[in-house]
Amino acid sequence: MATKTDQLVGFSILGFSLALFTYCSVWIIALPFIDSDHVIHSYFLPREFSVLLPLVAGLLLLLSVGFFISFVMWKNWRPKKKYE
Amino acid sequence: MTKLMEWLFGLTLLSTVWLTLSFDLLGLNLPETYQQAIWPFPIYLLLIFGCYSLATIGFRVATFNNCEDAARELQDQIQEAKKDLARRGLKF
Repeated sequence: MATKTDQLVGFSILGFSLALFTYCSVWIIALPFIDSDHVIHSYFLPREFSVLLPLVAGLLLLLSVGFFISFVMWKNWRPKKKYE
Repeated sequence: MTKLMEWLFGLTLLSTVWLTLSFDLLGLNLPETYQQAIWPFPIYLLLIFGCYSLATIGFRVATFNNCEDAARELQDQIQEAKKDLARRGLKF
C-alpha cells in the first residue's frame, strides 16, 4: 500500500501540476483579454517569459535526462572493459 | 485508422489552423489581443501535456496499491505448477 510519505509526495506533485496548469492558462490565454493597466498584470511576468521559461525548462529537462542516461550507460559499460 | 494516423491527423489539423491564424494567411485581420493569445499556442499545448503527465504520475504515486488477489492467484499457480512438475519427476 501507498504509505503516508507516498501519499504526501504524490498529492503534492498533483497539486503542483494543477497550480502550474492554472497559472499558465491564465497567463497565456486570459491575460491578453484583460486591460493592461489592470491589477492582475502585476502578478505575472512579461508575456515573453511565458514562452521563454517553458522552453528553457524543457531544454534543461532534456539535458538532464541526456546526462543521466549517458552517466548510467557509462557506469555500466566501464567494468566490462576490464574483463576483456 | 491506426492510433498513429489519428494523432498525426489531429496534429496536422491543429498546426494548420495555428499557422493560418498566427500568420494571418486568410487575411482575417484578427485583433491584436487574439493574436497574442494564439501565438504561444504550441508551447501551451506542450505545457498542458507536461502538466497532465506530472499529475498522472503524482496521482498514481499517491494511490499506489498492492494487488492482494493477484498475488494469491500467482502463488496458487506456482504451487500448481510445482505439483505438476513434481508429478512428472522433476526434483526441486
